[in-house]
Amino acid sequence: MTTSPTAGQSSAPKPAFTHDAGHATEHLQVAGVRKSFGGTQVLKGVDLTVAQGRTTAIVGASGSGKTTLLRVIAGFEAPDSGSVSLGGVDVAGPKTWVPAHKRSVGYVAQDGALFPHLSVGANIEFGLRERGRAAASRVGELLEMVSMDPSYAKRRPSQLSGGQQQRVALARALARQPELMLLDEPFSALDAGLRVATRRAVAKTLSEAGVTTILVTHDQAEALSFADQVAVMRDGALAQIGSPFVVYTRPADRATAEFLGDAVILEAWMEGSLALCSLGGIPVRRPPAQGRVHLMLRPEQIRISEGGNIRGRVVDTDYFGPETTVRIALAPIAVDPSKPVDPHQPVGGEVISIRHWNAMLARPGTDLSLKVVGEGVVFPWEG
Amino acid sequence: MSQAKSTTTVQPSRARFSRIARGRGTRSGPWAVVVLCILIAIFSLLPLGYVAVMTADAGWDTIVKLVFRPRVGELLFNTLALVVITVPICVVLGIAGAWLVERTRLRGHKVWAVLLAAPLAIPAFVNSYAWVSAIPSLGGVFGGVLISVLSYFPLVYIPVAAVLSRMDPALEQSGSSLGLGPWRVFFRVVLPQLRLAAAGGALLVSLHLLAEYGAFAMIQFDTFTTAIYDQFRSTFNGAAANMLASVLVLLCLLLLLGESKTRGSARYARVGAGAQSNPTRLALGGFQAPAQLGLAALTVLALGVPLFHVGRWLVAGGAEVWTRDALISSLLQTLGYGLAGALVTTILAFPLAYLVIRHPGPVGKILEGANYISSSMPGIVVALALVTITIHYVPGVYQTAVVLVAAYALLFMPRALVNLRAGLAQAPKELDDAAQALGKPPLVAFLKVTLRLTAPAAAGGAALVFLGIVNELTATLLLAPNGTQTLATEFWALSSEIDYTGAAPYALLMILLSAPMTYLLFAQSKKVAGQ
Repeated sequence: MTTSPTAGQSSAPKPAFTHDAGHATEHLQVAGVRKSFGGTQVLKGVDLTVAQGRTTAIVGASGSGKTTLLRVIAGFEAPDSGSVSLGGVDVAGPKTWVPAHKRSVGYVAQDGALFPHLSVGANIEFGLRERGRAAASRVGELLEMVSMDPSYAKRRPSQLSGGQQQRVALARALARQPELMLLDEPFSALDAGLRVATRRAVAKTLSEAGVTTILVTHDQAEALSFADQVAVMRDGALAQIGSPFVVYTRPADRATAEFLGDAVILEAWMEGSLALCSLGGIPVRRPPAQGRVHLMLRPEQIRISEGGNIRGRVVDTDYFGPETTVRIALAPIAVDPSKPVDPHQPVGGEVISIRHWNAMLARPGTDLSLKVVGEGVVFPWEG
Repeated sequence: MSQAKSTTTVQPSRARFSRIARGRGTRSGPWAVVVLCILIAIFSLLPLGYVAVMTADAGWDTIVKLVFRPRVGELLFNTLALVVITVPICVVLGIAGAWLVERTRLRGHKVWAVLLAAPLAIPAFVNSYAWVSAIPSLGGVFGGVLISVLSYFPLVYIPVAAVLSRMDPALEQSGSSLGLGPWRVFFRVVLPQLRLAAAGGALLVSLHLLAEYGAFAMIQFDTFTTAIYDQFRSTFNGAAANMLASVLVLLCLLLLLGESKTRGSARYARVGAGAQSNPTRLALGGFQAPAQLGLAALTVLALGVPLFHVGRWLVAGGAEVWTRDALISSLLQTLGYGLAGALVTTILAFPLAYLVIRHPGPVGKILEGANYISSSMPGIVVALALVTITIHYVPGVYQTAVVLVAAYALLFMPRALVNLRAGLAQAPKELDDAAQALGKPPLVAFLKVTLRLTAPAAAGGAALVFLGIVNELTATLLLAPNGTQTLATEFWALSSEIDYTGAAPYALLMILLSAPMTYLLFAQSKKVAGQ
């Protein structure tokens, strides 16, 4: 998370889309949704609320159930129990069922799912009620909306690149002016450079249209950069929901911490709001436990610093060009003979990985001074 | 994106939402399809079930009396000799031809590629008719093998050529780089890759040999099928015919078992489908002339002889043979049965293909397997079963078009099924979902997307079923309503009366109807190879 373009977008909506101040801001509500396929429970009680006009990313490893959740919201699957409501109207519940085609929901699949037998224009027109000239001009508008030339309307899907196909799929889904847009890993089939560019273009289009959006992805960087709200999915349930900054810097549990990015995890002793570990005393806000805990820091919080009071020796490095991953063995901590022996005192010696921009500074065997920036997060001790 | 978003669109949608659809489409769909598929599978198991029940009813003593006798031994010898000699020759010719056409610098390989597939357009009994005209004394195992090889070697050639044309040349290049010469590359690298295609082709040839009636009856070479037919004609529905049918069915099942053993674990080994370099063609050098001569000889025997003799009889018959009333009527009836049969078969195959592709699982596999086995039954067995079943249970439909079309559906369903499967695989469920998300009700989404995308494949399958029906003789002879003449039965009636000139126009029409379908089969094989 560098800057936050998404934060600006929702607070300053474009004139084309105006929020009704009196309208409920909870656009989508998923409550206690369960779903099994042949004895395997895929969704184990999912609760999720998405505000009007906001962007939510559901991120999770493959098999965590995120696509199933999306398909339940879209109306391709019916939940076994629980309910889904859109704009305050139940669309799935114990006695309610609104099929996909009657929900005002747009859906963009992983590979775009363009109809191969139709031209780009006919694909976009597919869901339109207009016909003829009105439809054609609408197709042109929609293509421009996804930054494509209207002349593309005559092409076949097979003549488009992967990124173009995804943008056409988005234009097609936008054609019906859906209240809610569902994106099922729409960027994962694209190669790295194209992925970022397409993601930006899609985010821009959707925010300009003011459509409530849910993105499903297994790529945590994509989730953090795309959404206002990130929901971390694990084993069929949402482990944490929050802003990208919060879920990254204050993950709810160790698995979430490790899923969302590299993490330095150290054994620590929690006393009040200070965690004692091999990196010294680290401040922790609202620790969930006292005594023996796991302390989590992000690698970028640990800096190489002349004046740092933590000593370590470089074990080895991985050079990536702009930055280098440096593995550092922390120095054993000398026991102060004047104090009584404390069994909870850290002993040092752990090996941690941090990142640094200067490869020359970190040759194996070099002794370094380190300091820690910001707060840590602790998790209760697990045997 | 225009205005009127949040509040205004929610109100009307509330009204839409209140019309709650009955049944949860995602769950009720497969069950209806499964039930339909089970009904179709039961229908397709009728012939096999009939034979099993008849055999069980006959009792051990009858079985011993009717099966263990010299006549059956003679038929068994003829049939087995036919299979054992014909199949290896077809495999060698098919593989050699395919390899020359696809992998060597054979001059004119594009023309040869088509010429080697072309004999399939000539029905075996027309081939037989031509050869009997050329050599009236033709008969015995030699005659049977000659006609069979010339009629059926394309059944091996076509799938093998398809695999060869798609095979990644990197495999051969790796073989060469590992120090193998061209011959050893062929035997150690290329040939193993062809095992599945060649085994599949060999199975098809064998099943055709067991099922063929006309070609062998014409040269008075007795096999189980011809014997069952004669038995049926003399005693109508006797136990003897049924017992012979049991032995024939047993042979078919053994063949299927043998083929599935050959497939073994290699079943899942696939030929790479990604982008690959063009195949390197081997220089033939001094072998160019012998190769051209060999292919020319094969083509003359398999295409030249039948076409020449059909032409000769046409010339001899002059204009008179074209003006007989029966010609037009049998052409129209053939087209009628062909179209009806193709349509019914494709419709019946659709649920099965849908189940197998969209809801893969054990149920689909078992049902598809049942269909595969039952469709391997010879036409004579299917016909016997339907005659008996209709007489006993639904006498009203006995000898009506309904029964004949049902027989066609039983015999040719795999042709439709294979094509529909490939077609449905091109129309993934995601597209259906996308259409529904764009506001199309499930049925409309299905029609506009899935069915539309499957249509070309369905048409291809239907065309192949049509081809089968045009040339079908045995079941048509047994089941056709009184007064029905198809091109095949009329050709058969005339040539049986040694009216060779009168039969020639029918032969020509069958060849002309078959030619485009054969080309379609050939063209399609190149596309689906490796899948």
